[in-house]
Amino acid sequence: MRASEDQLRAMMIGGLAGDARAYRDLLDILAPLLRAFFGRRLRDAAEDVEDLVQETLIAIHTRRATYDTSRPFTAWAYAVARYKMVDHFRRRRVTVPIEGLEDILVAEGFEEAVSARMDIDSLLNTLPPKQARAIRETKVDGLSVAEAADRHAMSDSDVKISVHRGLKSLAARLGLS
Amino acid sequence: MNTDELIDSLSADVTPVATHAVERRLSVAVATGAAATAMLVVFGLGVRHDLASAMHGYAVWMKWAYTLSCGVIALFATYHLARPEATRSRSLWLLLIPVGLLGLVAVVEFAAAPPSHWLAMWLGDSWQRCSMRVLVLAMPILVALIWAFRRFAPTQLRLTGAAAGFAAGGFAALLYSFRCDETGAAFVLTWYTLGMVAAAAFGALIGPRLLRW
Repeated sequence: MRASEDQLRAMMIGGLAGDARAYRDLLDILAPLLRAFFGRRLRDAAEDVEDLVQETLIAIHTRRATYDTSRPFTAWAYAVARYKMVDHFRRRRVTVPIEGLEDILVAEGFEEAVSARMDIDSLLNTLPPKQARAIRETKVDGLSVAEAADRHAMSDSDVKISVHRGLKSLAARLGLS
Repeated sequence: MNTDELIDSLSADVTPVATHAVERRLSVAVATGAAATAMLVVFGLGVRHDLASAMHGYAVWMKWAYTLSCGVIALFATYHLARPEATRSRSLWLLLIPVGLLGLVAVVEFAAAPPSHWLAMWLGDSWQRCSMRVLVLAMPILVALIWAFRRFAPTQLRLTGAAAGFAAGGFAALLYSFRCDETGAAFVLTWYTLGMVAAAAFGALIGPRLLRW
């Protein structure tokens, strides 16, 4: 089961109001999401994944007052997770490029959940056709960047830029930035 | 502890969070820090004796408007940065408005005065002390802001430190203006601003260390 943004947000708002049941459900759903999030990004450090999951849950708990209930919950939660990951790499003195928040939300599949009410096609139609096509092919249909580039005789970087720009304006439209 | 046990203990502690908890905590911090700075001004430096009569002139109001707007703009940027998903704050660019307006006043003042007075108008009597005092007076406010951030979730620590430092500098300069009897716009623009920028630089320096969570 994949919880939607609306469900998670409702649980968080309940938790902030003191509803222990809703809050517990929220943390129970978040733990595997966070495990997947860190697991995918720390492939060679599996033993650190559970530590990061716990640290992030604690941070989400102690800093829950900084969640603005009028804004998307998943963006807030993944921003906390992203910070914990950056901090983890900083402590290890490893430099790794880390994706921006909007890319994370897409990779974790939440851009669809956030826009569950809106038809994804109508959303993509608000973008320039080239960006919409690049996003549809790489993020919805599951083509690789190289495959999408081949199809339209574009360069890889051209596809990547289109995807990035398109996601950025979608993120802005959904109030994620 | 395994994660399930952790979730048990976290969800056993669901004290309700007040709405606008961030805004409240930030207001308390600024008020507390500013109160401490005000004490330093009143009991350490002393308020200028001619304050009541100076309030008939425009210079005092100019200083208040400039320092207050700098403090408020920087505080808004700081507030924005308290949330983890905050993007690079563009609101700091608004600081260029008070700086630009005060620059215009300085140009008008210079145009109305003979060039032989310009240096004295710029340096006043206290240029060697002013910036350092603003920096020192900013410290209680900066400390209070950093305390407030212990419960927040900033992710751009250096920028947050700088914004908090600038806000502290702005409010410190506002309070210092109750002591300082300089009247020139160019003086305020240079030496007050230098004090605020120094506080921002200090904030940027300590931010990554003290704002980590």
